[in-house]
Amino acid sequence: MSQKESQESFHLSDRDLLLWADGELSPQRAAGIRRHLSACWTCRTRMAELEHAIADFVQCYRRELDARLPSAEGPRALLKARLAERTASSGAGRNIWLTRMRPVRAASVLAAFVLLTGVAIRLSRHGNVRSQARETYMVANLGEIPDTNLTPGATNPIGIWDVCSANVSTNDPAVPDPLKREVLKEYGLNEVAANGYEIDYLVTPQLGGAANIRNLWPQPSRNTVWNARVKDALEDRLHYLVCSGQVNLATAQREISQDWVAAYKKYFRTKEPLQEHSGRKQIGMQRRDVPFPLVAMRG
Amino acid sequence: MGDAPKDSTLDIRLLAVATGRNPAKPRLEEEVTELFDQWHGALLRYLTTFGLSQHDSEEIVQEVFLSLFSHLQKGKARTNLRGWLFRVAHNLGLKRKEAERKAVGIAADVENLPHPALNPEEELASNRRQRQVSSILRALPEQDRRCLYLRAEGLRYREIAELLGMAVGSVAASLERSLTRFQRADQR
Repeated sequence: MSQKESQESFHLSDRDLLLWADGELSPQRAAGIRRHLSACWTCRTRMAELEHAIADFVQCYRRELDARLPSAEGPRALLKARLAERTASSGAGRNIWLTRMRPVRAASVLAAFVLLTGVAIRLSRHGNVRSQARETYMVANLGEIPDTNLTPGATNPIGIWDVCSANVSTNDPAVPDPLKREVLKEYGLNEVAANGYEIDYLVTPQLGGAANIRNLWPQPSRNTVWNARVKDALEDRLHYLVCSGQVNLATAQREISQDWVAAYKKYFRTKEPLQEHSGRKQIGMQRRDVPFPLVAMRG
Repeated sequence: MGDAPKDSTLDIRLLAVATGRNPAKPRLEEEVTELFDQWHGALLRYLTTFGLSQHDSEEIVQEVFLSLFSHLQKGKARTNLRGWLFRVAHNLGLKRKEAERKAVGIAADVENLPHPALNPEEELASNRRQRQVSSILRALPEQDRRCLYLRAEGLRYREIAELLGMAVGSVAASLERSLTRFQRADQR
């Protein structure tokens, strides 16, 4: 038997098969493996088994996650707006072409963003830095949490008894139209853009929130992850916790006004809105043990 | 000058040539947006394997592409952008996970959150083999799982080795170990 034949009578290791299949070998070694495989049914069977294991893993990895990958449209628009902003701020003073192009570029990118998201941004009357900051704010945060400068939250001087008495309405009082317009104006949104938003109380009146411009903000009604229904669930929960003496009223007011999304995560012990609140299928996370009843009890 | 170009587009083009820029080249923003279209899904999927929420993963993907923009804007290397994207996403994912671990409230839970593909409801819904692969995956060391995910996203051994700070030979050993586990379980 020649040396070559004796080498080929040995079977290939799993490592060699895998390196070969993944194209990680030099052309010479790869050719040697191919030669061996064409002669050896045992190694071909082994290769098929390994490929089968790869396919099983990839199916497991991709099938469940892929089905739930969200559309890239919104994030794409957001990225474009952020890139345009960066280009505008970094190009000034050092690049003649960018400097000259900037007004056109900024306008076209913003126009594209307006089309994509349905958010009409008031460009003509609010060309100043402050309104640009607001626009950036709304873009960057998907409008889930209000601008804390514009909407820090405001409460009425009432106590736990008022909040928890049986005759407190569970429906938020309607916001008068002139006040709504004030809020929209403050956020630099015109009447067209306003259709995409609901004026919402930051601190809910159920928890003593005031009908005051400092406590009202335009919440996007389009279906973002942290939407109004999710916030309603948090409000119900905090109301229950306050009225059952588990959370201090002032704490509840503070937490909901500082970052209601963080408060939701904390009180539902989850990182994403629960499915029953958002109406969306969850990706990735599942509910952990929740120590309190999920359904808020009233009165 | 009498023969100076009147056309403003040409004017801009000449200015660009004078400053060493070429406006005919696709704008960097467009290039980054195209790369976003190409890699958004894969990066998002990879990030969710850290147990990060969809919201956090999306935020990180945004950060990755803003960093890419700065990277390219500075005229840095364009070779192997895929490896670059996954490396940045991986590092930001780890950082976010670490920050969550330190955060109050859900801190203790984060570490114990299962792989997103592995929650019990989904396990029931999928077939026996999927459950088997899932449970083997769950039992693997973190490093071995990362090797599998990154390889599934198309990264070469060398790229995985660089990203995870291990030797190329160790990547091969890790993949071999994991796949033979999947395979052995299938035989039982």
